[in-house]
Amino acid sequence: MWTLARKILVHDKIKFAVAGAGVSMSVLLVLLQVGLYLGFMENTSNLIDHSTADIWVTGEGNENFDFAGPVSERYFYRVASMPGVERAERVLLAFGMWKLASGGSQGVEVMGLQRDAQLLAPWNIVGGDARRISEANGIVIDQSEFPKLGVGGLGESHEITGVRSRVVGLTDGIRSFTTSPFVFTNFDTAHAYTGMEPDTVTYVLVRAAPGADVAALAARIGEIPNLDAYTRAAFSARSRDYWSSRTGVGTGFFMTAVMGILVGLVVVGQILYSGTLEHLKEYGTLKAMGASNGAIVRVIVYQALIAAVVGYVVGGIMAFGGREAVKAANLTVVLSTDLLAGTAVLTVGMCTVAAMLAIIKVIRLDPASVFK
Amino acid sequence: MDPILDLREVSKVYGSGETAVQALTGATLQVRAGEVVLVEGPSGSGKTTLLSIMGCLMKPTAGQVMVKGRDIVQLKERDMPQVRAGTFGFIFQGFNLFPALTALENVAVTIRMKDPRARKVHVEAARLLGLVGLGDRMHHLPADLSGGQKQRVAIARALACSPPVILGDEPTAALDSKTGLAVMKLLQSLAREEGRAVVVVTHDHRLEQFSDRVIRVEDGTVLSDRPSLAPEPHGRSGPTNPAVAIRTGLEVGRNERQ
Repeated sequence: MWTLARKILVHDKIKFAVAGAGVSMSVLLVLLQVGLYLGFMENTSNLIDHSTADIWVTGEGNENFDFAGPVSERYFYRVASMPGVERAERVLLAFGMWKLASGGSQGVEVMGLQRDAQLLAPWNIVGGDARRISEANGIVIDQSEFPKLGVGGLGESHEITGVRSRVVGLTDGIRSFTTSPFVFTNFDTAHAYTGMEPDTVTYVLVRAAPGADVAALAARIGEIPNLDAYTRAAFSARSRDYWSSRTGVGTGFFMTAVMGILVGLVVVGQILYSGTLEHLKEYGTLKAMGASNGAIVRVIVYQALIAAVVGYVVGGIMAFGGREAVKAANLTVVLSTDLLAGTAVLTVGMCTVAAMLAIIKVIRLDPASVFK
Repeated sequence: MDPILDLREVSKVYGSGETAVQALTGATLQVRAGEVVLVEGPSGSGKTTLLSIMGCLMKPTAGQVMVKGRDIVQLKERDMPQVRAGTFGFIFQGFNLFPALTALENVAVTIRMKDPRARKVHVEAARLLGLVGLGDRMHHLPADLSGGQKQRVAIARALACSPPVILGDEPTAALDSKTGLAVMKLLQSLAREEGRAVVVVTHDHRLEQFSDRVIRVEDGTVLSDRPSLAPEPHGRSGPTNPAVAIRTGLEVGRNERQ
């Protein structure tokens, strides 16, 4: 039956190419759109996810990691002194203006970390020494942001909000969802770069004492007036959810992915249906000679599966190529194992559903029609 | 010898009410192993309906259809494919071969479809193609075969799983006269040498030389059933061959003999 299915499908090479292209485009759209979405979502929470803090504390009502409002530093001391808190660190996150050589400016997200920070630090270091952000005006930036910031390399001096900075370290792949490059520096310099009051913090990172109930500790911290506290996982999810559902970004990506699936459905469905119509006489002959509906339906399902496999492989290869191509535009496409497996299942499902019209046609095919 | 096919008082009406069409009326006939039966008649006379009912492709509105002693009218629709698979092979004017499959694959697929548990399918398919004289063309696509060769492939396909009855719907109509006669001769030899019953619907009187009986159908009734090359009875005078039981709708009304 596989031979029959394959030969029927491949016999008309143009139709087969169209079917394969339809599934490939569908797979490509799904993988790239969902992969881009996952990449963006990764960016919305990558600093949270890479921290080793058990709890993130922020001002009450802050919904978004990047645009969190500051709170007084005294809350840091209050949190640090709570039972169950082993360590607390101050973080300042606010926007500054990077002066470009052209005379213009570029918004940057300044991440100010304590000089002795243990709970959050830049990662994927590809140049320099990240520990040197403890030096006055020392900054770490991501090398992918060079073009945007007009940076040539390590050791260069630039100006942020009128204050001098010096590139002491480089990372790879730490990008912000807001498209404003991250600039890591020490907590004090961050205030200078952002113009924030010196006794303010944006986040307090907490490491719970060994054996402490992290969720319960977060709840207790959250009871402090003007503060919210989340476990790391909860804050990561909250941050992703904000961008995904509140801004419509997720809907946009998934609508495109759904469009991709619909395109695949229509193309494959049309090809299988027209192919079945072309072979109605032959299928009718087989039915007349006693072939069961199940046997003939299997032939059509096998055709759908062949189209699915071919389209998935080609579309998958194109998606990996696309992932490399968009890297140049600082876009991250996450082609995770889960996404690849899910898309494979989706592709098989899509092609099987697309075969339904053809299947209904052969099931309803009256074997006596072979005489007409 | 017991008949393989035994149709008794078979009628078929398409549609209902004012749009009803009486396609077949009170047809009674039997077909036995080893005989070649031609079904003749003008277009729209009911030949194809008769063939469809004989081949268990449709059930009659009234009457009995006994296949190897089993009344298929009483069977459920879902059981019909099994009866067809074990009893019939079909041959068509248009061959109905999968263009993407070689001759061997066309036959093999049919064997596999009729009997999913069949073993050595390709060996059997090759044997059948050898039987119809296509041993050296079995790896050719239908497009690379002549009309006569395609029909031979169709005959080999019809022989898949050794059905006792071969039903042909104008199997020679798309062939030149010489090739058509050769195909008919082949069908005759299958009947003679392998004991299969062959029923062929045709307009071609020259095929009569290869048959044992000729059944004439007109206006939905079996007008006559006579030995081949015997004179055609005039008018609706009833069957000329009492040895082969046949009863037309007209005869039921005026003559109860069988």
